[in-house]
Amino acid sequence: MPRNVAIVGTGQTKYTTARNEETYEELIHQAARIALEDAELTLKDIDAVVISQAPEALFGIDHPERWVVGAAGAIGKPVMRVHTGGATGGSAAQAGFFHVASGLFDTVLVVGAEKQGDTPDAQLVLNRIMEPRYELPFGLNAISMTSFQAVRHMHKYGTTQEQLALVAVRSRRNALNNPYAHIRANHTVADVMKSRMLCWPLKLLDCPPRSSGSCAIVMASEERAKGMGKPVAWVRGVGATSTTYYMGDKLSGLPFNEHGDWDELALAAQHAYKQAGITKPGDEIHVAEIYAPFTICEVAAKEALGFCEKGQACPLEEKGWWDIDGHLPTNPSGGALASNPIAVTGLARVAEAALQVMGKAGQRQVDGAGTAVATAIGGTLQFHTVMVVSNRL
Amino acid sequence: MTRRVAIVGIAQTRLETEKPDQILDEVIFEAASKALADAGIGREEVDSITIAAADQIDGRPISSMLEACPAGAYLKDEIKTTEEGSYAAILASLRIMSGVFDSALVVSWSKCSEVPVTRVSNYGAEPFFHRPFGLNYITTTGFMVNAYRAKYGLPEMAAAKVVVKNRGNALNNPLACYQTPVSTEEVLSSRIVAWPVRAMDMAPLCDGACALVLASEERARGMVQPPVWIQGMGWATETYYLGERDLSRLTSLEVAARRAYAMAGVTNPLRELDVAEIHDIADYHELMAYEALGLCPWGQAARLMEEGVTEMGGRLPVNPSGGALSGSPFFATGLVRLAEAALQVRGDAGRRQVKGAKRALAHGSYGFCGQGNSVFILGE
Repeated sequence: MPRNVAIVGTGQTKYTTARNEETYEELIHQAARIALEDAELTLKDIDAVVISQAPEALFGIDHPERWVVGAAGAIGKPVMRVHTGGATGGSAAQAGFFHVASGLFDTVLVVGAEKQGDTPDAQLVLNRIMEPRYELPFGLNAISMTSFQAVRHMHKYGTTQEQLALVAVRSRRNALNNPYAHIRANHTVADVMKSRMLCWPLKLLDCPPRSSGSCAIVMASEERAKGMGKPVAWVRGVGATSTTYYMGDKLSGLPFNEHGDWDELALAAQHAYKQAGITKPGDEIHVAEIYAPFTICEVAAKEALGFCEKGQACPLEEKGWWDIDGHLPTNPSGGALASNPIAVTGLARVAEAALQVMGKAGQRQVDGAGTAVATAIGGTLQFHTVMVVSNRL
Repeated sequence: MTRRVAIVGIAQTRLETEKPDQILDEVIFEAASKALADAGIGREEVDSITIAAADQIDGRPISSMLEACPAGAYLKDEIKTTEEGSYAAILASLRIMSGVFDSALVVSWSKCSEVPVTRVSNYGAEPFFHRPFGLNYITTTGFMVNAYRAKYGLPEMAAAKVVVKNRGNALNNPLACYQTPVSTEEVLSSRIVAWPVRAMDMAPLCDGACALVLASEERARGMVQPPVWIQGMGWATETYYLGERDLSRLTSLEVAARRAYAMAGVTNPLRELDVAEIHDIADYHELMAYEALGLCPWGQAARLMEEGVTEMGGRLPVNPSGGALSGSPFFATGLVRLAEAALQVRGDAGRRQVKGAKRALAHGSYGFCGQGNSVFILGE
């Protein structure tokens, strides 16, 4: 049995296009400080640090984690950076969990920052992640590769562009309740439909903003967490799956190679649910923070996470199933469609899920949120992480 | 009580100045599949994959997108760390110790022949003030050596002897990149690359990959290879800012070693260890590591070397494999050290075997002037 681990503090800073007034170090420091204050701990209490940092090409410094050791309060401590592309934040939270669960450490800080605002053209960088010999020259990037997923889902399940637009409308409406969110807006389906087409069927408002900002969580052993005498979020299950890189392989229609279905995310979820003792995710999970930078990603993720039958996420959306007062509220924070600081988007999902089960989510709090799930995706939608958190052991 | 972790599969590719006939994917696949074969298991029997890689060394952002599958990760629980090779073994160990996983394939690699490593390492310098000065892993080694020499007056000859020792040891290692002996004269007449560091003081870069299979105690029992236990591990990082550091000491290595020794119950490393594989980014670096690892007092490394303690046949042979000075697959070098230390404990090190080696130390290092360091203690 793994040692029990809890999230005992979270810290986020405002997500916005560019944080020009602060350096990368300062963003790291801010989130770390806020999380420590939230946990009512000091740097002296931290045994090890995990840095959540996605591709450095997005802001032009090789191994930025080495630069920010001081800002993260980690001088002389065990430090490790985790980088799994977009899934980085989810992987970093899991690495933090493994640090404590191993029994070697009692209190671990997981912190990261994104300064995408310094990047002239993120999509140029995200074109360079593609397979260089055959796929890169086609102009694939994060938007175009995800449009394939939308096309597959529409083809298989009859999903419409208007249904996808509802995901964007709900997410950014939820963001109105989140003071850290980047895009907070009362968009309509018509607004989404008439926004500029970027790569059919994904339009500008189906896509995330480019955000900068920082996020941190503090994780502690059961003994430490219980001694704190305050609500904490217990990590009840973790899972991750990597799958093929090649876009061509994802369009084969074969099991685990169907871009519209994300069976590989289902594998990660099954691993996490088994540890958490969850058998009916659609009922036993009360709120979900899903890393869905594009509208279609949230749809495919909810189906893979077992929240509903395949092809049912959109019809249920029309009934308000996923709304903040619906059956299973998803992304009450606004999710990645409202804020997408790539290095910490996955970590923010974990932090938001933790806030929900701690009952500390403020205006975006979901009533009765006892168990929450947080996901992240990275690469060519190929790296998946799932973490289940709960207010009880 | 933490769960024990064992190394049950070990593989390296041959280290070579270049591998023009293999793309990076194939180099990685070779190491990963050989490690599984060494462990006597199939990919389906491994439940986690942990890799260590650096985007800039691999030449593309999020390089694990392409390289995770050759490393065995298809439909597996895979995670990547970016410090250096040995950190993948650390993270994999934590994952097994947690009880969530029972086994792990650990993989790291570099194909230095295709990368301007020196320039890439300059991109790791703080961009506003440090990068324009030309900081890179070679020039900063110069800083470190100057700081050490200013304090302890180390003669160049003492460092050159480390190269001669390691290159001599590499004659016994069929996987080493350079299997030819060198003389101190050759080292001391090689060109200066960052005063007083000469070209042959630095570990020459090469291509290669390394992979290990780790397993929990229950899983390790009954596997084909005798388990090599991870008795201790420690890692630590110094501040990035060189001006704030005492460059004459590998401070974070001292901290990492203290943690690993405490976990393994080592109190007198020189007496209790049988062999050490040290990440010798430069010959000077190996000497400074002797001190940080507590093998001798500060400033006394040259004497330890002179007394032949770290030679094959000495009390504590260091780098019987030839070390990085006989070929360094930059990012994977720390994992190669761990693999070599494990081979020694298993008694499978061939002609480079230290007789009766029961307990070994492996060291990994990264960053300017050894900013971050890891230490493993392995035992039977």
